Amino acid sequence: MKKQQGSKLIKREKLTALAFVSPLIIGFVVFTLVCMVISFAYSFTNFNPISGRMKFEWFARYAELFTHPTYKKAFLDSIANTLFLLLTTPLCITVSILIAALMNSKKFRGKTVFRVILYLPAVTSVVAVNYIWRYMFEENYGLINAFFHTHIPWLTDNMLVKVAMIIKNVWSGIGVQVILFMAGMQNISDEFYEAAELDGAGPVYKFFRITLPLVTPVLFYSIITGLIGGFQIFADVELFAGGQYGSRTIVHFIRNYGIGQNLYGLASAASFLLAAVIMIITALQFKFNKWVEYTD
Amino acid sequence: MEQTIRKTNKTVKILVLCVMYAVMILLAFTMLFPYLYMALTTFKPMEEAVRAGLHVFPEHWTAVAYREVWKLVPFGRGILNTLTVEIPVIVVGTFTSALGSFAFAKMRLPCARVLLLTLMSGMMVPFAALFLPQYQIYSSMGLTNNLLPLILPGLFGNISMVFFFIQFMGGIPNALLEAAKIDGCGYFKSFIHIMLPLLWPAMAAQGVFWFLGIWNDYFAPSIYLTKTEVMTLQPLINRLNATQGGRDLPLVMTGAFLSSIPLIAVYLAFQKYFMSALSITSGIK
Repeated sequence: MKKQQGSKLIKREKLTALAFVSPLIIGFVVFTLVCMVISFAYSFTNFNPISGRMKFEWFARYAELFTHPTYKKAFLDSIANTLFLLLTTPLCITVSILIAALMNSKKFRGKTVFRVILYLPAVTSVVAVNYIWRYMFEENYGLINAFFHTHIPWLTDNMLVKVAMIIKNVWSGIGVQVILFMAGMQNISDEFYEAAELDGAGPVYKFFRITLPLVTPVLFYSIITGLIGGFQIFADVELFAGGQYGSRTIVHFIRNYGIGQNLYGLASAASFLLAAVIMIITALQFKFNKWVEYTD
Repeated sequence: MEQTIRKTNKTVKILVLCVMYAVMILLAFTMLFPYLYMALTTFKPMEEAVRAGLHVFPEHWTAVAYREVWKLVPFGRGILNTLTVEIPVIVVGTFTSALGSFAFAKMRLPCARVLLLTLMSGMMVPFAALFLPQYQIYSSMGLTNNLLPLILPGLFGNISMVFFFIQFMGGIPNALLEAAKIDGCGYFKSFIHIMLPLLWPAMAAQGVFWFLGIWNDYFAPSIYLTKTEVMTLQPLINRLNATQGGRDLPLVMTGAFLSSIPLIAVYLAFQKYFMSALSITSGIK
C-alpha cells in the first residue's frame, strides 16, 4: 500500500517535471525543429512564395549553388568573403592575450579603468559601431585617410572593405576577449611563476610556457564562439559596407536570395550547408572541451 | 658593483612600466576616440562633416541634428518598441528557463539527459537556417510589421540560460527543498519561494546579456519590420541613414549616439557587475 503510494508520488513528480520543461520543448519544436525541417524540405524544391510554384527537384538547388552561371559566383564569393572575415578571430585573440597578459602583471595599476574602456564597444549599439567606423574609413572625408594623407578606397574596394571590417571587428571584439583571458589568467596559481622564477625564467618564457598553456580553456571557448559568430555575420554587410560586393557574406546571400528574390529553394540549400558547417564546429567544441579538461 | 646592478635593474623595470602604460594609453585612446568623434560630429553642420581633411572638432557648433532626429523618424517610438520586445521576453523567458532548469536540476525528469542534449543541439542551428520558414509562416498570418515574431520565440526560454541555471542550481543543497517538501510545499511553490530567490544573481547575470543581445539585434528586426512606426531602435537608425541617402552624417551620428547612450549609461553605472557576470556566463571563473 505504502509502496504504491510512493510510486504514485514519483509518477506525479515526473509529470510535474515534464510540465515544467514543456515551454522549453514547445519552443524548441516550433521555432527550431519544425522550421529546420521545413527549411530542409524547401532546399529540395524550387519553392517561390510569390509565383506559388513548388516542385520537388532533388538536389537541383544544391547543384545550382556550385554550377549555375549567375548564382555560382555569388555563392562562392560569399563563402570566400566569409572565410576571409574569419581572420578576425585569430587576430582578435592574439591581441587580446597580449593585452590581458600586460594588464595582469602585478605592477600594473588601473586595471579596472582600462577594462571598462576596452569593454565599451560590447555594450554599444551595433548600428553606432558600424556607422562611426564607416565614417572614419570613408575615402574622401574619412578621418583615417586624412590622418595618413592617403586616398585609400576602404569601402569600395572588394578586398579592402574586408580588411576594414576586420579592423573594426577586432576593435569591437577585444574587450570581451581581454576580460575572459584576464579571468583565465587570474586562475593560474602564483606558485607556477615563482617556481619558474627560481629557475631563472624570463617573462617571455613564463608567458609561453605557463600562461599560454594554462589559458587553453579560454582559448578554445574564444575560438569556437568566434568561428560560430563569424560564420553568421550579416549586420556588418548592410550597416558598415552598405552591401558592397566584396563584403557580402553567406548569411547575406541567404537573405538576399531568400527574402529578397523569393528563391526559397536556393537560399534554403545554402542555409542548410551553413548549418552543417556550424554544427560540425560546435560538435568539435564539445569534443575539445573534454580534451581541455583532461589536460588541465 | 652590486649596487649599480640593482640600480640599472630598477631603471629597466621603470622603463618597462613606462612602455606598458604608453601602450595601454594608446590603446585606450584608440578605444575611446571613435566615441569622441561620434559625439563631436553630432554637433557639426552637415557640410562640415563631409569636408576633407583632419577636422575633429566642429568649427560652428550646432544642435540642429538633435532637433531633426525626432522629426524624421519616430525615435521615441523606436525605444518604446525595443522595450516592448525586451520586457516580455526577458521576464517571461527567464521565468520559463528557470522553471525548466528546476525540473532538470532538482526533480525526477524522465529522459533528462537526452532531453537536455536535444534542446542544446538547437543552439547549434544558425538563425539563417530557420528564418525563411519563420518569415513565410508569419507573413501568411499577417504578422510582418508586428513585434510578435520578435517576442514569441523568446517567451519559451533560452537554452544557454537553462544550461547555466542547471549548473548554478547544482550548487544549491537539496536539503532546503526537502525541508519544504516535508512542510507540504508543492514543487511549484518551492520553486517560487525557495529556488527563485536563490537564483537571483544567476538570472541577473544572464538577463543582462540577453537584454544587450535583443537591444542590439539587427537581423531579425530588419527582416520583419519595414514600417518606421513599428521598428525597433537598430533598424530605425538604419532607416534614418537611408532616408537621408547617407549624406547627413551629423544626423545619422546623432541617431547612433542616442541609441547607444542608454546602454552605455547602465553599463558605466554597473560595470563591476557586468565584469563578474561576463566571467560567470562564460564559465571561466
